[in-house]
Amino acid sequence: MNFLAILKLTIPVMMGYIPLGMAFGLLLSKLLIPWYYAFFMSAFIFAGSGQFLVLTLFASQATILEIGIATFLLNLRHTFYGLSMISTFKHFSWKKHYLIFGLTDETFALLKTTEVPEGNRERAYLLITFLNQCYWIVGSVMGAMLGNILPFNYEGIEFSLTALFVVLSIELYKKNRLHKPFFVALIIGLFGMVLFPPQKMLILSLCAAAFVLIVFKRSMENGK
Amino acid sequence: MESSYLIGSIAVAAVLTYVTRIIPFLLFRTREPSPLIKYIELNMPLMIMVILVFYALKDVKWESYPYGLAEIIGVSVAIALHVKFKNALLSIFVATLTYMILIQKVL
Repeated sequence: MNFLAILKLTIPVMMGYIPLGMAFGLLLSKLLIPWYYAFFMSAFIFAGSGQFLVLTLFASQATILEIGIATFLLNLRHTFYGLSMISTFKHFSWKKHYLIFGLTDETFALLKTTEVPEGNRERAYLLITFLNQCYWIVGSVMGAMLGNILPFNYEGIEFSLTALFVVLSIELYKKNRLHKPFFVALIIGLFGMVLFPPQKMLILSLCAAAFVLIVFKRSMENGK
Repeated sequence: MESSYLIGSIAVAAVLTYVTRIIPFLLFRTREPSPLIKYIELNMPLMIMVILVFYALKDVKWESYPYGLAEIIGVSVAIALHVKFKNALLSIFVATLTYMILIQKVL
């Protein structure tokens, strides 16, 4: 896969990450934290909701221990992403640590749905992850430096991430041998959205999905 | 805010975020993945992706005006276009544009 094809692939993430990153940077500047901390956080943490959470905790003067525990629990869902990447990353060089580091919701989604020839895979994956992180860093630094001066009404552009997930769900549905997990996830997602507290919705829904997948393995594999 | 507090917190958050992502690789480094792990690897991504759609919609206020109409229309546009044309960029662009127009100008 050449650079241009990969760039095209990451455009939806760019559309989502730049405005979301800007919102993050904006919030950071409102807390009177210098702009370069936006760069550090996006470079070294690289977790959208995780970084927002850290800012919220900064604002309430939480201790470093509390910040650590909260971050760990919020990002625990990423463990599921790694679980789905074990054999893919297995034969990669040490550079796979950057891939593991960069496994955000959106990057995971792209890696899991992109068809790349075997020999080309590591390089393509690294590029996807790196581009995504660049968008995030650029957005957050722009937000932190520009403050409230926004030339264009971006409101709603972050919907591109929702649309991205919708499109990739359809792609995976077509690719997956079993179709029951899709319908189970549909039900869990719907109930999770309505019933679970928003901050815990993702991890609780993912645990429920993993639970059903494992416990009902036999009936999942029956039929189709 | 003191810089030692900021730097310390960021370092801790960075390390722990990485830990959440590397846990499965550490757990299954030596052994060949079991059939169960392979089954999870194969089917969990589809479930994760569907749940991420709902996660992205979790802050919608369904009970008050406009009752999540923009989100419902946006998602429907994405599904319809993608089923018909199978062009990811097109589906995402048009759905996002529709959504932006709806929340900025219509609803």
